[in-house]
Amino acid sequence: MVTKTEERELNELENQVENGGGGVWEYLCLVRKLKVRRSEIVLKHGLSILNDSGKRSSLGPDEWTLYEQVAVAAMDCQSLAVAQNCIKVLQKKFPESKRVGKLEALLIEAKGMWEEAEKAYSILLEDNPLDQVIHKRKVAMAKAQGKPSLAIEHLNKYLEVFMADHDAWRELAEIYVSLQMYKQAAFCYEELILSQPTLPLYHLAYADVLYTIGGLENLIAARKYYAATIDLTGGKSTRALLGICLCGSAIAQLSRGRNKEDKDMAAPELQSLAATALEKEYKQKSPAKLNLLSSALRSLKLS
Amino acid sequence: MGGNGELKYEISQNAYIKLVLHSLRHKTAAVNGVLVGRISAKDEGVVEISDSVPLFHSNLALLPPLEISLIMLNNKKLEALSKGKHRSPVMQLCVKDASKNWRVVGTDGGSKLLLKEPSANVVLSDYISSEKWKDVTDFDDHLDDVTKDWLNPGLFN
Repeated sequence: MVTKTEERELNELENQVENGGGGVWEYLCLVRKLKVRRSEIVLKHGLSILNDSGKRSSLGPDEWTLYEQVAVAAMDCQSLAVAQNCIKVLQKKFPESKRVGKLEALLIEAKGMWEEAEKAYSILLEDNPLDQVIHKRKVAMAKAQGKPSLAIEHLNKYLEVFMADHDAWRELAEIYVSLQMYKQAAFCYEELILSQPTLPLYHLAYADVLYTIGGLENLIAARKYYAATIDLTGGKSTRALLGICLCGSAIAQLSRGRNKEDKDMAAPELQSLAATALEKEYKQKSPAKLNLLSSALRSLKLS
Repeated sequence: MGGNGELKYEISQNAYIKLVLHSLRHKTAAVNGVLVGRISAKDEGVVEISDSVPLFHSNLALLPPLEISLIMLNNKKLEALSKGKHRSPVMQLCVKDASKNWRVVGTDGGSKLLLKEPSANVVLSDYISSEKWKDVTDFDDHLDDVTKDWLNPGLFN
């Protein structure tokens, strides 16, 4: 995951590169370091370096890393011929290399030849059963073939071994959500919150899932996690503020007719604080939408 | 609805283009949005889609953001539409996969989804080559930054 500062630096470099201001090599290194997916730009500018023999030789040993990066970017943009060429160069330089073998298997996968790719990955895994990247490719292939339950199976096996891989937990949660298996998604977010309790993203996602499952207890819990998100983001999370309003309205609806035993359920101050904060934000940044927001909040309070 | 139960949908150029540009903007994810239209005054078996509103490109199946977007949409859109004609507006949620092969929608009577203006595809390829999709913002973007307008008012100027 990328921090806001890192993202800003990346976007600035990207603008510079796209407008002919140079800094291509720094940009490519930053993309590699942050592991972000900017394949079109990487392909365009990476290729321009590789196709220029002067620039290429000035890279020294980094030339091969660039070939690898461009090959992967090319596959992401479905420029398979470019990818094939890069891989050929690498094969010539490093015959029998496992790292190049991975790229070859990736190319087979990019062509959509699932069975051959499966075989290629299995062979690679025999030599190195703990290779995380290859395990993840198997998940990706299952997803690409439209077999989410297979992807879930692979991911669960992966997580038994690599249980600290947060990205994998997130991916699993998102697949569960797409299949409407909300309880299982909730479990994933619980694991994430346990391991990284100061990341507001997980609290927010967990709250969204709890709200989606529904039921009074879950709504009350969701509201707590929205509140936690607001705490962790210093009140800046629009989604969490809206979440509080939605929860308040839904809880009020569900607990209508019950005895007022639990005054905590209502928490009217929380809802009105959230509404005020939202209106302030819209007034400052998006005054055109303020009326829309106010009428939306009104309809939530009434229902 | 009509006698044979199968509705045909006629989609306006702007609605169609917005839809395609939205999915191009987020090539690696599925996107969803709302199509807004009304039952045609001329033919009850046809729904005229006058506009599309791009909603999300992540976590499509979660309730809270979806509910908020539909509440906000409800208030604004139905207001605008009911001022026009007397027919009651129809809203439909449409989920599209951002696959590379976009289904080519033509004006032939065979497909269920028809393009109202056949020149739409030409305008679309123009926009694609000028990378217009970068200007499309959806409700997801709005939730991250409230200054972004998910109705994309200036998109076709």
